[in-house]
Amino acid sequence: MQLKNVIESPCGIRYMLDQLELQSGFARRWLLDSPMMTGEGEIATSYDVLRRFDTFVGQADKTRLDTLLFKLQGLKDIRTTIKNLQNHATLDDIELFEVKHLAILATDVSRLLHEQGMDAVVEIPALDEVITILDPDGMKIATFYIYDSYCAQLKDLRNMMRKHPEQQDDLLLQANELEEGVRQDLSKQLHPFATAISQAQIALARIDVNLAKAMQMRQMGLTFPVLSQDGTTAYKAMFHPQVKEALATRGREFQPVDIAFGGHPTLITGANMGGKTVVLKTLTLCQLLFQFGFGIPAASAQIAVKDEIHFCIGDEQSVEKGLSSFAAEMKNIDAVIKASRENKKLLALIDEPARTTNPTEGAALVTALLQVLAGRDMNLVMTTHYDIEPGDARCLRVKGFENGTMDYQLVEVQDGEVPHEALNIAQSLGIDNEWITTARTLLEDSNRQQ
Amino acid sequence: MRFQGVPFINDILRYDSLSIVGLEKNTGKTECLKYVLDRLPVQTKRIAVTSIGIDGETVDQVTRTQKPEIVLREGMYFGTSEAHYRQRRLVSELIDVSDENTSLGRVVTAKALTGGKILLSGPSSASGLRRWMQEMHRFDIDLVVIDGALSRMSSASPAVSQSMILATGAAYSANIATLVSKTAHVVDLINLDLTSQGNIARLMPLEKGLWFIDKDGALNNLDSMTSLSRDIRFDGMENCETLYVAGALVDGFLEKVRKNKSLKQVELVVRDFTKIFVTPQQFRLFIKAGGRIRVLQKSKLIAVTVNPTSPSGYVLDSDILCAKLSEAIGLPVYDLLKNKPCN
Repeated sequence: MQLKNVIESPCGIRYMLDQLELQSGFARRWLLDSPMMTGEGEIATSYDVLRRFDTFVGQADKTRLDTLLFKLQGLKDIRTTIKNLQNHATLDDIELFEVKHLAILATDVSRLLHEQGMDAVVEIPALDEVITILDPDGMKIATFYIYDSYCAQLKDLRNMMRKHPEQQDDLLLQANELEEGVRQDLSKQLHPFATAISQAQIALARIDVNLAKAMQMRQMGLTFPVLSQDGTTAYKAMFHPQVKEALATRGREFQPVDIAFGGHPTLITGANMGGKTVVLKTLTLCQLLFQFGFGIPAASAQIAVKDEIHFCIGDEQSVEKGLSSFAAEMKNIDAVIKASRENKKLLALIDEPARTTNPTEGAALVTALLQVLAGRDMNLVMTTHYDIEPGDARCLRVKGFENGTMDYQLVEVQDGEVPHEALNIAQSLGIDNEWITTARTLLEDSNRQQ
Repeated sequence: MRFQGVPFINDILRYDSLSIVGLEKNTGKTECLKYVLDRLPVQTKRIAVTSIGIDGETVDQVTRTQKPEIVLREGMYFGTSEAHYRQRRLVSELIDVSDENTSLGRVVTAKALTGGKILLSGPSSASGLRRWMQEMHRFDIDLVVIDGALSRMSSASPAVSQSMILATGAAYSANIATLVSKTAHVVDLINLDLTSQGNIARLMPLEKGLWFIDKDGALNNLDSMTSLSRDIRFDGMENCETLYVAGALVDGFLEKVRKNKSLKQVELVVRDFTKIFVTPQQFRLFIKAGGRIRVLQKSKLIAVTVNPTSPSGYVLDSDILCAKLSEAIGLPVYDLLKNKPCN
């Protein structure tokens, strides 16, 4: 699975990418194409690299950092050109320019990083020979044409052109043939470097991405995660950057949440508007950010690596596709159950399953789901409004409505009993009084009958 | 009016960008571009040439005539598409391959190492053109010359280029009186005065909608989004001093402003002349009734050129045309073909 496959995930990872200050379009494409990491080793290595860039961003003086960022703006996607070179095609002037431009850029960036003691962090292949081939006069500037010094005859023809503009068309024809010969020769000389050029291009993209991630960590107050050794995932003061930003623009503050989960399923209950869905969104976001090597929005984070991440939420998109909300949801959860049989490490985050059906069957479905998944090797975090038998699930509850304000913290409770605060909350929203009072009367009547 | 020397070349050099636009096909825009490029001091100034709005074929789809090649001089910079770069008929050094895409590939920039011919096809939108011009700062370009689109003024917008030359001629109208009055209308719009510095600073950031500033200096938004809205109302605007139209200004709106008694003294402000789409009649009525129109940005109209020959072969009297037009617009008018120096 590549980053581009999860970019539209309702957890809001797109926001993180939109806020990433990448210098080049190529780095963005490369990042979107990068696969989700599922090996502990590769994740650890990627954070080691990011840590070096984080230190660099923190310590480098502003001018040096800006120079490096400005250089990276010149990184272009020349994959087609590289492919042509690999396929023994003759490159045209524009393609030769692209190769030269990249080679000079790679050398410049390499030197800048070397000066900062960062050489070994991201390996950039040396392309000095490529530059020598495309810069016969040793000008060291990233411009290109078929230079006079490639061919003495060409030089003579061009001088004639300047002296006799009236013969230009004829002379150009002759010159074109000579130029084409030079291009063929240059392409042959460059062919052995095709792989190194391609590696250099990717190395520059990696540098761009790591710098952007490091800067984002500082801007958003993200943290480096610790790889979990015991399969437990735990966050202290976890937050959702996009929701935090949205609240901030309305002059409100995001209340960070502590949460930990491991082998046993975790059930989150709580009043409406208690932020249960935001918790699941944030957990999904953090897990994805972790496996794509980004900073984590929390004060501290210990995360277990997963093979698959399933976020099941009332999916608007499926509804737009014509599936009923119930059908869409059932299919999503079905995928979780199927995957759980395949001996994969799973993280499943399920928001209020079966919420759109009748409460009797809904509660049965949720209880059964909990029982079915409880025995499997997976991490399950689920929210619900139904009063259900939690089995051996851990139960967390949003503290809820106290003194007119919502406390979004999660507290551990012994049973899965759900709070009955819907009417109070609706009242605090200023919902029509006749409606709420009538509901209250009905509730009291039914309680009395019991 | 006889043409002596090359007076407007020095005017051009006072600005960092020049856009050449034609009011109609065959009004001599390309001749004008050639004329300018032949005379700019390429030894002392870094000159870059590009175009807007040529999308595709080398044969003009409307007139079936061959699209003109531009003759560049050694040392000039140019921006054109990859496809046209490969067809260049000169020796040139590539200095940049941009991310601006056109139907003919990316826009590339090069320096001519010999004189010769090229086909010009630059960025395909005004915003793309602006980005390309920004890039040119890296190469210390002194002047960017833009071969503007026909009958589309966007490339001449002061947001893109500081100065402009307008090409008109018999192709626009084959009757001298009509041609003069239609051209004078465009010139009137280009030459509209700037509003106050205070207004410019306040209104420039507003990119859409209708706004007014009242006598107390308060800035208000009118709910109707554009001046195109049919049921526009000017309620509660008795105190309005300045009415700003961020988008297009059209006939119906101008008429409503003119007929509204409470807006008699109002100063109507538009972004720049390219946003005005009113007929000469409505414009004149508005001005006659004492209306004022001002702009936030304006480009310097350096000269007007005429081509007295229409595509059908009809030829207007060049001297009379130049004289009448010059009198109507108060600017020198040149017939570049007729007055070509006889060397």
